[in-house]
Amino acid sequence: MSTADRTHEPDHDHHDEGSYLTPKYGAMGTVWDWMTTVDHKKIGVMYLFAVLFMFFLGGVAALAVRLELLEPVRVAADGAITGQLFAPAGAESINTGNQIYNRLFTLHGAIMVFMFIVPSVPASLGNFFLPLMLGAKDVAFPRLNLFSWYIYVSGSIFGILSIVLGGVDTGWTFYTPYSTTTDADHWRVLLMVLAAFVLGFSSILTGLNFIVTTHKLRAPGMGWFDMPLFIWAIYATSIIQVLATPVIGITLLLLIFERLFKVGIFDPGLGGDPVLYQHFFWFYSHPVVYVMILPGMGIISELLSVHSRKQIFGYRAIAFSSLGIAAVSFIVWGHHMFTAMGELASAIFSALTFLVAIPTAIKVFNWITTLYKGSIAINTPMLYALSFLFLFSIGGLTGLPLGALATDLHLHDSYFVVAHFHYVMMGGTVIAFIGGIHHWWPKMFGRMYNEKAGMLGCVLVFIGFNLTFMTQFFLGTQGMPRRYASYVDEFQFLHTLSTYGSWLILAGFLVHLFNFIHSLVAGPKAPPNPWGGLTLEWETESPPIEHNFHHEVLVQHGPYDFDTVVPPHCDERDFPLPPQDQPPASH
Amino acid sequence: MTMPPAAPTSTVPEAVAAFPADAVAPVRTLPFDGEGLQGLFFRTNGTTDAAVWTDGLFMLTFWFSMFFFVLLMGLMVYWCIIYRRRPGVPAPVSPAHNSKLEIFWTVVPSSSMLVFFFLGFWGYMDKVVPAGGALELSITGQTWDWTVEYPDGTQSAQMTTLGGRDNVKIHALPENTDIALRMVSTDVIHSFWIPDYRMKTDVFPNRYTGYGFTTPKLGPEDDHPEGRYRDQWVFCAEYCGDLHSEMAAIIRVVPQADYEIWLENQGSSGDPVIDGQRVFQSRCATCHSVDGSNNIGPSWKDLYGSERSFNKAPPQIADDNYIRESILNPGIKIVQGYQNQMTPFQGVIKDEEISNIIAYMKSISVHVEQPAEGEAGEDAPGETETGAGEEG
Amino acid sequence: MATIDANKPDLPAAGAKSHPLYWKNRGFAHHFRNADEQFDACKLGMWLFLTTEVLLFAGIFCAYAIFRMLYPDAWAAGSHHLDWRFGGLNTIVLLFSSWTVASGVRAAQMGNNAALIRNLVITLICAGLFVFIKLYFEYIPKLSAGKAPGTFFSYPYAHDPHEPLWWSVYYIGTGIHALHVLIGAGLLSWVLVRAIRYEAYGPTEYTMVETSALYWHLVDLVWIFLFPLLYLIH
Ligand code: HEA
Ligand code: HEA
Ligand code: HEC
Ligand code: CUA
Ligand SMILES: [Cu+2]
Repeated sequence: MSTADRTHEPDHDHHDEGSYLTPKYGAMGTVWDWMTTVDHKKIGVMYLFAVLFMFFLGGVAALAVRLELLEPVRVAADGAITGQLFAPAGAESINTGNQIYNRLFTLHGAIMVFMFIVPSVPASLGNFFLPLMLGAKDVAFPRLNLFSWYIYVSGSIFGILSIVLGGVDTGWTFYTPYSTTTDADHWRVLLMVLAAFVLGFSSILTGLNFIVTTHKLRAPGMGWFDMPLFIWAIYATSIIQVLATPVIGITLLLLIFERLFKVGIFDPGLGGDPVLYQHFFWFYSHPVVYVMILPGMGIISELLSVHSRKQIFGYRAIAFSSLGIAAVSFIVWGHHMFTAMGELASAIFSALTFLVAIPTAIKVFNWITTLYKGSIAINTPMLYALSFLFLFSIGGLTGLPLGALATDLHLHDSYFVVAHFHYVMMGGTVIAFIGGIHHWWPKMFGRMYNEKAGMLGCVLVFIGFNLTFMTQFFLGTQGMPRRYASYVDEFQFLHTLSTYGSWLILAGFLVHLFNFIHSLVAGPKAPPNPWGGLTLEWETESPPIEHNFHHEVLVQHGPYDFDTVVPPHCDERDFPLPPQDQPPASH
Repeated sequence: MTMPPAAPTSTVPEAVAAFPADAVAPVRTLPFDGEGLQGLFFRTNGTTDAAVWTDGLFMLTFWFSMFFFVLLMGLMVYWCIIYRRRPGVPAPVSPAHNSKLEIFWTVVPSSSMLVFFFLGFWGYMDKVVPAGGALELSITGQTWDWTVEYPDGTQSAQMTTLGGRDNVKIHALPENTDIALRMVSTDVIHSFWIPDYRMKTDVFPNRYTGYGFTTPKLGPEDDHPEGRYRDQWVFCAEYCGDLHSEMAAIIRVVPQADYEIWLENQGSSGDPVIDGQRVFQSRCATCHSVDGSNNIGPSWKDLYGSERSFNKAPPQIADDNYIRESILNPGIKIVQGYQNQMTPFQGVIKDEEISNIIAYMKSISVHVEQPAEGEAGEDAPGETETGAGEEG
Repeated sequence: MATIDANKPDLPAAGAKSHPLYWKNRGFAHHFRNADEQFDACKLGMWLFLTTEVLLFAGIFCAYAIFRMLYPDAWAAGSHHLDWRFGGLNTIVLLFSSWTVASGVRAAQMGNNAALIRNLVITLICAGLFVFIKLYFEYIPKLSAGKAPGTFFSYPYAHDPHEPLWWSVYYIGTGIHALHVLIGAGLLSWVLVRAIRYEAYGPTEYTMVETSALYWHLVDLVWIFLFPLLYLIH
């Protein structure tokens, strides 16, 4: 979108202040400047690259998992061992191959959950855009923000160290008593648990920072219902982070004590209760799935309204459903344990689980209705938003048979669950995240990316993803358990398809990766407001100046008033307003 | 020794008669004979009431979801096409909310969710509460094997090759019978999943859990060259360590008469060596071999009477006491090159079984003088070929 | 807790009043609109943080409640080994220190630096006393008698096979609480040092005093729950 000649140039009164990306010192000085920065934008960018790197690591592990499952380790009828991808040549038993597989899916799950998806959107895009969208100069506690970043880094280092030293085989859930007795080297398990523990603190502090920022640093004139929905989503997320993470903290601490000192809280041998561990674990880990998805939902609200130039439908319903999801998320954890609990508890948790589907359904209905009578641009962010609606709906709807008792007893711990959570985590959060990165890329780095390449990447990922995980629903219902290094012949065909799909996903992400690199190196300069957005981050330059805005921001219009406001830095010829004879819409 | 008494042999189907299983059992996979979409989901249509209920509920959820999914995606694609952006054309004004519509799409899902919950709960109660007077099986999960004990104390030791997998233990059950499971684990958590009954429950250490199901009535579609039966997989569905994926078994549903013969065949043969071999097959074969190859644990071939070296303790000759100790308290001396992975069998295994194991070990060791000439050892299973000659 | 203050080198004591940390010289961080807003933000942040702490202990209380339900006899036997007098003494010590720390905040608000210092010192002495009683009269004698958590339990006269579990909960609960006492004492010491060296707190600048005091009240509150649960209910 070359609007350079037609845009109103951003005002130049303060042009002495450069972009936050402009290096001000020598090479070493710049590195030091970034390492000690308290600027939320720089911290956000560091998080962005860190979590994308973790995604890459976790993705490599995922590809290895899929590769093993293409031809799993197994003992054939004649006693020969086949499919020895990871076992030493000529091995006499399938033990080693299995052990390696178990480490692979554990590290895949642990990296993806603790180091990638939980911090992903809030810590990167949230950090960068929350203050900008609120019209603030920074988050409430900038030094605390930097501190959380270093906690995140050290937690990740612990985790990676544990993997480099040989990995752990507990699964990302660390279920006792396996995790307290596994022969995987004592110290590696401790390191991994410690990593999750430490990363939790980073999560708590980030959430705390965002809550205070939202409460205290909104620009003058911005009421609660003038906030962009992305902020609402991040706010709801932060509440969950602050309230749920401490519980995993104490749980993991107890796990560490259990392993170090054999305190016996979770050890049935000493009268302890392994199911208590599961309750503790899921009390955190169920709410945390909404920590993963809510920010993604926030992104989708932005993408859909901006790229269809439409007032978001049912603003309040979407905002309140975020809070509703956050509230209900605390009381459904038992649905992960239907096979381990009594009838009464199971019934209660099942009923509550269905409750959580309702606010989500409301959101989806509102999003789709937003498209009605829009002016819909089909570009990479929009394509991602549409993919999200498609994939997340499947993922969420397959949560229903998991929440129903009779069906969950069949589907629990099968590939159906694996498919369900990849549809919501990868098809939901990751897709929204990548879409959001494209949407805000010009703002963050001041350069456009190649639209065609972006759309190609999106299509590849979409097809590959469905091939990889749609097959897994059928595997699950047919009886394939998860965390299996090998399986009976009946499942071979579907597993083969699934593995091929994972290669397509890789191809898609590689396209994106090169597109991003190309954009950073040689992309055309981005205008301040390429999409015609109305939220405050589009009022400043691309990339934003060091203190975000030239003037104190005054909020004069709602974030989605596309019917009545010409977007800042845009021309009405590009973003025309509808005829004003009709009464303007309100929310 | 293992052949059933001469008379019934001709009438008893091979499927239940042969023990140990035929060394060259055909490699089979289970059928894919469900009907329609439901068949695609579940391979076979549910046969028991509980399974039929589950399938029905699943398909109901499926069509419910399909309805909303197609509706929403249809609108999404349709609107994306007709309202695509045209340069210079503004988006028409449309309302930003509509209370009636919003209430409608809150109430409709809410009420249908209520229905799903109740249907799910109904089917669940059917599954978890076993019928009165059911045949009670006592199941012990331990890394990485299921031990199934019949009411008379019998444990099965028949093996087969199925689904490309060797050494799968078979547990016969009579057709059209109520079964109740009582399950416990000796180490970590496992989960006993029989996909054909759409049911699983976790198996805990120090706590009994259980569920019930009804075996299907067999029909002509279950006729095989070896007899009338239906095989159903059992998988371990709770991650339990290295060989979690190998923790499988087969439930073979057979006619009542065959079941009784089968049960008879699993009982003591009167020969300690053969009984020892059965214990080996049912409890130890996941980790130990008898052909000299080393698995998770050392091979038993030529073990008895040899000198063993350990990680910490001084070397020792493997005699009766050492074997006994290794079974009951394997952690005391760890054989060099291995990890402390063997589950203690203290309280799980009977003294008599230990003696039988020792007898069996002796029969496959060169360090023990073997009886000069054996009675026919014709029925030795494939993987014990080496030992077969001396045994018996 | 997260005010951005200039990192200028320390001045000699004589120049304390011109030191940037002297309370009259303190500004507020550039991204806040005024000092009040900054103060409110810090306090809200601290309250949120305290919520997380409460939830952390909630996990321990939960474990306590569940095992109490499962093994009432072990719990009764276990709490008989605790001497309520030491627990009670420690309760008094903590309650008293909560009062002194509150007086400290008041002193800072009134601009009475000497009173602030005095109150902080008393509070810190109480913290020391608490840890001393805990260690010297409780942990050490118990551990040497074999009343240790989990598999370390070697007390020969135990009545109930699940007593080791009771001791696990006891040590984890009181141990993590004691850790919080130490952290709180650390925070207060830092406040004390800044009060002594720079007269850093006064009527317009007492955020740090107030938030540290809040933290200290939390430590007290947790003990108010731990004490009856462990020592009094049998
Ligand atoms: C981003 C993460 C995320 C999200 C958002 C969800 C969302 C949901 N999840 Fe999922 N879930 C996971 C991540 C997530 N889950 C993970 C990681 C696991 C496995 C962990 C492990 O064991 O390793 C899991 C496992 C899991 C289980 C346990 C399965 C088992 O192990 O036995 C259950 C059971 O109830 C469940 C249910 C649900 C439900 C009901 C929702 C609902 O919130 C979904 C709501 C969404 C919709 C309903 C769809 C959108 C709406 C429409 C299209 C409109 C029409 C709809 C209606 C009219 C209802 N999930
Ligand atoms: C965020 C969460 C997340 C994500 C995104 C994924 C992504 C993928 N997962 Fe994930 N998975 C989990 C979370 C996730 N997974 C969890 C929690 C478990 C459970 C673990 C357990 O049981 O303990 C699991 C388990 C699991 C299993 C089951 C293992 C088993 O039970 O035996 C399988 C099997 O197919 C699988 C496959 C995949 C594949 C093929 C992808 C692919 O989508 C991956 C595609 C990604 C890439 C190929 C990387 C490419 C990236 C780049 C090239 C750089 C990117 C750069 C830019 C975009 C700029 N995963
Ligand atoms: C979970 C796997 C596993 C199972 C099941 C298992 N073992 Fe073992 N066993 C091992 C391992 C590993 C070792 C070597 C480490 C050690 O000495 O404890 C071992 C060692 C032994 C030894 C000592 C061998 C030597 O080389 O000196 C004996 C005897 C033995 N097992 C008998 C049994 C019997 C009898 C059973 C069944 C009732 C059995 N094991 C079941 C894993 C297993
Ligand atoms: Cu047993 Cu998995
Ligand atoms: Cu959940």
